[in-house]
Amino acid sequence: MLELQHVSKSYREARARRVVLDDVSLAIPRGEFVAVMGRSGTGKSTLLNLISGIDVADSGTILLDDTDISALGERDRTLKRRHAVGFVFQFFNLIPTLSVAENLMLPLELIGSPADAARERVANMLQRVDLATRAESFPDRLSGGEQQRVAVARALVHEPDLVLADEPTGNLDAETGRSVLALLCDMSRDAGKTLIIVTHSEEVAARAGRVLRIEDGRVHDASRDAPPVSPAKS
Amino acid sequence: MTATLWRASLRYSSRHPWQLGLSLLGIALGVAVVVSIDLSIDSARRAFVLSNEAVLGTTTHRLRGGPTGIDEQLYVDLRTRLPALRAAPVVEGYGAGKDGVALRVLGMDVFAEAPFRPRLRSAASGDGDVLAALMTRPGSVLLSAETAARVGVGVGDQFPILINGRHYDLALVALLETNDDLATASLADVVVTDIASAQELLQRLGRLSRVDLRLAEGEMDALETLLPDGVRLERAGSGTELAERMTGAFNLNLVMLGLLAVMVGMFLVYNTVTFSVVQRRQLIGTLRAIGVTRSQIFTLILVEAALVALVAAVAGLALGIALAEQLLGLVSRTINDLYFTVSVRELTVTPILLVKGAMVGLVAALVAAAVPAFEATRVAPRSAMTRSLVEVRLRRRLPLVSIAGGLALVLALLFIQLPGESPALGFAALFAVVAGCALLTPGATVVLLRIFRWPADYFGGWLGRLALRGVAANLSRTAVAIAALTVALSATVGVGVMVDSFRRSVSDWLDVTMRADIYVGLPGSPGERAIAPATMARIAALPIVDDVSAGRGVKVIAEFGDASHEIDLVALKMARKSYAGFHLLEGEPSRAWPAFDGDGAVLVSESLARRANLAPGATVRLQSDDGMRGFPVAAVFRDYGSEHGTVVMARSTYDRHWDDAAVSTLGVYATEGADATELADAVRAVLGADQQLVVRATGAIKTASMEVFDRTFTITAVLRGLATIIAFVGILSALMALALERAREVAVLRAQGLVPRQVWQLVQTQTGVMGLIAGLLSVPVGIAMALVLILVINLRSFGWSMDVHIDPAILLQSVVLAVVAAMIAGVYPAYRMARISPAEALREE
Repeated sequence: MLELQHVSKSYREARARRVVLDDVSLAIPRGEFVAVMGRSGTGKSTLLNLISGIDVADSGTILLDDTDISALGERDRTLKRRHAVGFVFQFFNLIPTLSVAENLMLPLELIGSPADAARERVANMLQRVDLATRAESFPDRLSGGEQQRVAVARALVHEPDLVLADEPTGNLDAETGRSVLALLCDMSRDAGKTLIIVTHSEEVAARAGRVLRIEDGRVHDASRDAPPVSPAKS
Repeated sequence: MTATLWRASLRYSSRHPWQLGLSLLGIALGVAVVVSIDLSIDSARRAFVLSNEAVLGTTTHRLRGGPTGIDEQLYVDLRTRLPALRAAPVVEGYGAGKDGVALRVLGMDVFAEAPFRPRLRSAASGDGDVLAALMTRPGSVLLSAETAARVGVGVGDQFPILINGRHYDLALVALLETNDDLATASLADVVVTDIASAQELLQRLGRLSRVDLRLAEGEMDALETLLPDGVRLERAGSGTELAERMTGAFNLNLVMLGLLAVMVGMFLVYNTVTFSVVQRRQLIGTLRAIGVTRSQIFTLILVEAALVALVAAVAGLALGIALAEQLLGLVSRTINDLYFTVSVRELTVTPILLVKGAMVGLVAALVAAAVPAFEATRVAPRSAMTRSLVEVRLRRRLPLVSIAGGLALVLALLFIQLPGESPALGFAALFAVVAGCALLTPGATVVLLRIFRWPADYFGGWLGRLALRGVAANLSRTAVAIAALTVALSATVGVGVMVDSFRRSVSDWLDVTMRADIYVGLPGSPGERAIAPATMARIAALPIVDDVSAGRGVKVIAEFGDASHEIDLVALKMARKSYAGFHLLEGEPSRAWPAFDGDGAVLVSESLARRANLAPGATVRLQSDDGMRGFPVAAVFRDYGSEHGTVVMARSTYDRHWDDAAVSTLGVYATEGADATELADAVRAVLGADQQLVVRATGAIKTASMEVFDRTFTITAVLRGLATIIAFVGILSALMALALERAREVAVLRAQGLVPRQVWQLVQTQTGVMGLIAGLLSVPVGIAMALVLILVINLRSFGWSMDVHIDPAILLQSVVLAVVAAMIAGVYPAYRMARISPAEALREE
């Protein structure tokens, strides 16, 4: 369960202060697939950063599995993220100096998985994303679609509760994008993970169980055509 | 840390071989310079210690007298009155063997030697015939097998030696036994003979150079009561202490030059590690996003740097040993020229020095890498550190960085102002100047780029503007490269100005001091020198001779600062024109000279005045033949002859307190109208055949002195060159990094119609501008370094003041060197950038 209570975030730009998220409260139950939409610069990525503990809110509480990550120090946030969050980026962001299998091994090693179990899990995941034959290849030898499939596998390999994807199909052609999205959704759903995708694509949003739209720092639940979910009534 | 993370890190390095290579080269060169200096100094010191070990043996104390040594009767008396005293008399001096090889003549009493010099005794005591020959046949000597081979003599053969200008034939009666390399080294160039033979050879009949002692607790007091005035009981310092005392300042200067090279190397490491962090911004961001902590990132980058430094250090050690082989000759030659006679045959490679050198490289690399490694940890996950972010941060911090630079300069001033005579504070000031100027470089670069804007626009058009903007836009990288080059060039300027000022001061000093037309002296190595009185009389009687000054140079003990110090004493019978040969720094000539001539006052050299805190009116205490005596100081004079200090006294004063009639040199003045060649010919004609004397024109002595001076600073020039090479590698590294980073920018320009030739122009203009900035900055920084070197370090190290002379040619040379070095460094990056395929570069992004 992920819950945001009265979360605000602003950035200093020159002498002015720009509010990106303004008193946002929302709750996402475990296993839900949520799409976050909005125009460029409205704070979609900021929302993901706050949820993952990469960035810190100015005010408010972010509860991830009952842990208030906004109250944690930088190191604890990193450790929490290491165990509980999987990331898929628009530009894949695989480690270029590691092979496909090694890219998947890294999150497992970071959480201290035993080597044998980790290797088995990596082989399994590669099988799932249909890249078992490319285990020893380096990222630069793969196509964009293949790289994003590796990124999906990496995001899920250590079984996080929450998968965050920032425009995962934004850098792929339509056909490849669709297949990667299907893979991401299917694997997250099968594993019972919460999936939050930031996207501009209505097609992607259409697959989501819920669509949140960010506008002027507020988050609207667009899928229910409901009034803004923030500010929360407390 | 996980194995996969380490793998990722190692593969990054292996995928960027040029970057890795330049980093390796920078550190390796720094380590090589430090190690080579350490090894060559240590080898010279060891050679000196070993040669002393053969001579000093297990001596704990010794008795020393004045310039003529100790009356041998004292030794006989002491043995009679203190039968248990373990004492061995020694007569010691130098001679020249075949081809001018310096040989140390050591006369000893084989019966008294038992507890002292086991290495020498073993051969001498084993064979009755050898003993008999040594004691009964004058000129019988022992040599080690190695020395015998060097001299080219076999057992039973005779070989010539020149001592005090006289030729002798010595007979090798046996070889000294040497069981190990240490013994062989310690006996190199030592000629062992019986004490009576040595007295004869060295013309010290009835005199001993010293008496070596092995004293137990409590024996000292009994012994001291029996000593006459003029004989002193002193602790026998170890050879290491002695070598350190004599060459400490010289060695310190070299070590500091080595550290300067390391400092330049640190800029290089900083630059390459920063680049590796910036280049991996995306990767680091991703790692942070998937849960790698800040400390893991920090460790990862530091370990990378440490591994590179470790490999570089090993390469640096190998390079350092090779370099030390070359430097050894220069170092030992300088030590021979300036300090003591030492024959350094081979390089002694000691593990501790290698470990020290490697540690210097490792620590320097880690310190340099720590800043960018820390920067990497401050990067927010996902966003990582973009180039623009780095630049924005630097711009934001520019005032702070500049203030820090200013504070470093203030700190340098504080170091200079702190009381004390230690040159270490001077070096601290020097490094603070370097650090301050490095920190001021980014700000100064921004200012200079603004100044260059108009000429760049006028001469280079839009390409010139673009080039300048390129330097300004990448300040975080360009400023570091400029700073590295500035530091290296400043060292060139600073040391160049210092050496030039020193050279001019020495030359002027020689012009003032060497007043006579010719000088007559004894050839060969240092030691006791005495010109026969008959010879002096014949020279003085020549009609072409207007006047003669007679000098006697000896070593005496001076007491100051609660300790005893060996200094030079020169007793002068002045000619009328000799008085003008002293440049008095303190003391009124009208009062000083009458006191010198008539009242037993002395002149002290500037270095001694500083060391002993002496000024006119003070008293300097010297060990004379009639005991420790105070001499009033009449004046302080400029002298570059000895850093340990010189006292000059009138011959009449010397004769009153020392029982030594010898004269070492004569300064001969020609009559009006006669020239030096004529005078020299006339003097040579009256020299006796019994003593070989050298007649040298003043000009020839000055030339020879300046040759010694230039030889002394050859090593400095070599080290300066090495620092410049490291800086060159630094600027190449920075430019390569820029070339790689700016591939997309260049690709866009190429796509818009920039032809490869224009890319060349762009890069070369940028590198030229960077070089020009470094060259211009090196001028004030170099002058500041020169002032610290001249006014603080040299003064505190050697006690020599000198006139500051700034030759514009040295400054111009630095600017030209900077531009040329930068443009050469820019050739390959320009070539690479010009060859960029726009399509590929744009696609890669």
